[in-house]
Amino acid sequence: MIHACISRAVLLGIALALTACTASRQPVTAVAELDVPGVVELSDTPFFAQQDYQCGPAALATVLSSASVEVTPEDLAPMVYLPGRHGTLQAELLAAVRRHSRIPYVLLPSLDALFAEVAAGRPVLVLQKLGIGPFPAWHYAVVIGYDTTAELVLLRSGTDARLVMPVDHFLAGWNRADRWAMAVLNPGEVPAKADLNHYMKAAAGLEEVGQINSALLAYEAAVRHWPDAVLPRLGLANLAYQQGQLAAAELGYRDAIERGPGDVVARNNHAEVLLKLGCTREAADEIEVARVLADGGPFAGVVDSSADRIAAVALKDNVSVCPVVFEPAARVSLSR
Amino acid sequence: MNFCNRMIVTTLCLALFNLGSPRVAQAAMISTMQAVESNTRAQDLATVNAALSRAKVREQFVALGVDPAQVEARVASLTDSEIHMLSSQVDQVAAGSSVLAVIGVVFIVLMILEAVGVIDIFKKFP
Repeated sequence: MIHACISRAVLLGIALALTACTASRQPVTAVAELDVPGVVELSDTPFFAQQDYQCGPAALATVLSSASVEVTPEDLAPMVYLPGRHGTLQAELLAAVRRHSRIPYVLLPSLDALFAEVAAGRPVLVLQKLGIGPFPAWHYAVVIGYDTTAELVLLRSGTDARLVMPVDHFLAGWNRADRWAMAVLNPGEVPAKADLNHYMKAAAGLEEVGQINSALLAYEAAVRHWPDAVLPRLGLANLAYQQGQLAAAELGYRDAIERGPGDVVARNNHAEVLLKLGCTREAADEIEVARVLADGGPFAGVVDSSADRIAAVALKDNVSVCPVVFEPAARVSLSR
Repeated sequence: MNFCNRMIVTTLCLALFNLGSPRVAQAAMISTMQAVESNTRAQDLATVNAALSRAKVREQFVALGVDPAQVEARVASLTDSEIHMLSSQVDQVAAGSSVLAVIGVVFIVLMILEAVGVIDIFKKFP
């Protein structure tokens, strides 16, 4: 009898331990104190019931539709579903958003960033880890609302058009997915509680895969939203350079440097453009500034070799005439 | 590879072989993505291996059952950093699939606990 009791106790202990593994280990969030409207529900958000293992295509169709893209899960499955993994990778969700010329913005990993985005009218795609150990049970769902007083989260999830979860249950699964969340923005929109680096990473990702017009609109919106930051102006200047607009690029780099005189990338790229424009002496001066700034940092190698090259050109050059007039940088709008 | 990265690779190759007139210097521009990623210190800045990683991910996608007609477009829309990460981890990173998988696991655990008498939640059939 005692033996049976002990074995049951052991098994119960294991069961409880397994349950504990699913509980949140993050600090408790005081939901009622979040700086967001109390109750939000984006009831116009479309619902696409998922098929089989395809929560990725279903969730993605939901958030893309909310950004005015006419698309169904069937359209998206060939873009994101991995048969061999029976699921969808986060990176491929971002890639598919880029293919539709929209901005895939990964939110700051906090509940108030999530709720603020929903309050701004944009449903948010979240990754959840619903299982444990050898059965992680990754799942994508879309947050369409919340209630800070009742401490609830509303989702479109799987085959459930309106799933109501207590906040702590939601956090248990979302925490274990490192609180990954993605919103889809139209180029020109800026997220609620926007983080500059997260936003610029999304915009630069668009540029990197060739969505140039969307990237341009994204950088312009960033300049408006963060007028004193270097990165957005660097983004515009780099784009202008890529489009062959050297004079506009040169002005853009000066614009960036005005806001960040210590920025290695702006100085380096400015030097390169000056060289291309025939401003050899100015380029040599600028690249030496960059060389000092780059010392010990991730760009030291690139800048050092540029500095050697430009210095060599400057030594031999006594014929180039610099066409640039170095007045304070005017505001430049780039031709599209 | 995008234009900037191609420029950097070209520059490095030219430097290596000491080709080209000094007057026609190739620019070594640092891309916006590299500037962003150096801010977050998240990624190494190697770009020279991007083409190799991309080929590897292409192969892995085909092996994982992606329609070959779709592979190129899918890989082309991933950034170099994403490609770099996937080329070593495509079997391990999260792949969101279904809440049905969870239900299955929980059911099995409950069955085991029922069988050893810890719980008694399943009604006996008459």
